[in-house]
Amino acid sequence: MSTTNKTATYKLRYEPDDDGLRFQDLTYEGNFVGLEPVPDGILGDKMMRRRAKSGVLEKVSKDEVLREQFTLDELNDLNNYLAWNIWDVLVMRATEGVSGMIPRQEYEILAFMHEFYRWPEILRMTTSEAGPQGVMDIGATARREIGTKVNCVHDWCIGAVGFGMGRCGLLALEAIQPDDYLEESNEILKFMQRVLWGKRHDGYILNSQDRYRCRIHEQEVLDQLVGELEDFEPDEPKHDAFTRFNAAATLLAFLDHFDCRLGLGDTGPYPLPDGRVLIVRDLFTNEEEFHWSDVCDHEDVPHCYTVVLAIDAEAMGLAEIRVNDISTTFTRPKNYVSHITGGAVFIREKWNTPMGEVRPVALDDLGPELEKLQQATLKLYSKLARMPRRELITNGHWVYFVDMILPHLRLAGTYEKACRDYDLWEIDQRVSNYYYEITKRKFAHEVVPTRIFSGKGYLPFSEKADLRSSKYRWL
Amino acid sequence: MSSIVAEGYNAFETKKAPTGVVKYLETPNDVLALIQSGRLKEHILLVRGGTTTFLAPVLSVGATGILTMSGAPESHLGILSREFQTPCVMTIGLTDSDSRYQPGSTDDAHFEAIVQRLEGKRVRLDCHDDDVGRVYLEENGA
Repeated sequence: MSTTNKTATYKLRYEPDDDGLRFQDLTYEGNFVGLEPVPDGILGDKMMRRRAKSGVLEKVSKDEVLREQFTLDELNDLNNYLAWNIWDVLVMRATEGVSGMIPRQEYEILAFMHEFYRWPEILRMTTSEAGPQGVMDIGATARREIGTKVNCVHDWCIGAVGFGMGRCGLLALEAIQPDDYLEESNEILKFMQRVLWGKRHDGYILNSQDRYRCRIHEQEVLDQLVGELEDFEPDEPKHDAFTRFNAAATLLAFLDHFDCRLGLGDTGPYPLPDGRVLIVRDLFTNEEEFHWSDVCDHEDVPHCYTVVLAIDAEAMGLAEIRVNDISTTFTRPKNYVSHITGGAVFIREKWNTPMGEVRPVALDDLGPELEKLQQATLKLYSKLARMPRRELITNGHWVYFVDMILPHLRLAGTYEKACRDYDLWEIDQRVSNYYYEITKRKFAHEVVPTRIFSGKGYLPFSEKADLRSSKYRWL
Repeated sequence: MSSIVAEGYNAFETKKAPTGVVKYLETPNDVLALIQSGRLKEHILLVRGGTTTFLAPVLSVGATGILTMSGAPESHLGILSREFQTPCVMTIGLTDSDSRYQPGSTDDAHFEAIVQRLEGKRVRLDCHDDDVGRVYLEENGA
């Protein structure tokens, strides 16, 4: 199908009756065996919400979010919706196979299971320290800041990865049964719901519920960003300099986070008065908690570059734009880069640099910043290439296990306590033992990806399940 | 004259139609050696996975074109090739073979056949289509 008709139609996607475009040919079944298969995108969201038994997937009130306990129907609705959402954003990504560099499937599955086991008490402690409202306030900080890891992908990972994929992996390993760990599941999902609700402030929690929009920034923030935009034509050297910088920073952000999506965070699309659309992209190029980031320190690479992209929707013939729940922008037509006609770059030196000290960089001054990125990328690659397989898996696992909740713990002031009193940087003995299991019977490469990315492994809680249940028997 | 030798997912639409001799990269040392050789621009790179980190240095320096044997535009390498505007055809399959990549259940013979068919051959990438990227064997490339 050709979408390059040069007339922007993307606004039609925001009409209530519009079902959006299909970005892939595959369909989803999940726990709805025998029912009509569910596609990706806006139509998929509509179908999944129609199948819900509770109202948890519609706009919910602050009081509902503050409530401590989900009902069983709400837990199952969230489980089913997240399973579809995971499929929606990851089923095609997950075809990427082996890395040749980092054993990602291995580190991912270990981290999923570790999170499901150990996050609940850390999140419970954080909720106790900050209070339920305080957790929502952590989410709300993202409305006023750039260069913050309190973003779509991190917030989504709490529930989709820590609960969804973690429980799915342990069920596949037959380490748990479907009605185990309800109390812990509630703890994880409540934390996710509160952060996301506080961030979005429109009653939804996920971008897919809002036709893949993540328009969270307050107008004052957007005005500051737009005020630094430099306009250019796609064939000007400034376009090349800006897009090369964006690509190089994206690459290092991926590499510093062991080839995972935690290194980048998009918000938007924000409509500009002149008809263009704005994407605000945080690229986390130096996470100080990772010991391998020392090469980034040596090159004086900051914690985050925020890249602001203005896309000429009309010239592109933009038919649909999605900022999905793992903070990534996809469009139809796919190539929005050649239609970027304005850009700005900001630097946040450290994760807690005050917003007033975040500084813009003129596009003509990007040369030295690009050089830093390239040097750090080469040095980090050389460093990773020398790491033994076991170390690569362990480190990749740390990226998931720690970084997915790191921004929330930092803002709650509980990160040090989690390290000191809850052994955050230790690997649970159960998960250590799983290391030797996951390479057997194609568990990491076939069994888990099949169940996680097809949606077949997210078994529902049964009607007999007790909301108070943990796991009491290891038989 | 040239003929289509392989097809796959087109990572993004572009009028660029790079040509080069296919070079298969198997290990990080292969990647580093290619950069050090100073001959990166002469090659269309063939890799097995669709992940980003493996090709990080060549993306950074500037690759001419990329072929992968797994992955999709939504994979990390698909995203990065779009951002770098490096033409990239993903999950290629040989046009004269029925063997196609299936995640988790594709044996080594599938990958080896593609490497054997393409390595050292001069090819041109056609990435103008919305969905399909095509690999043409150049006349003097067989």
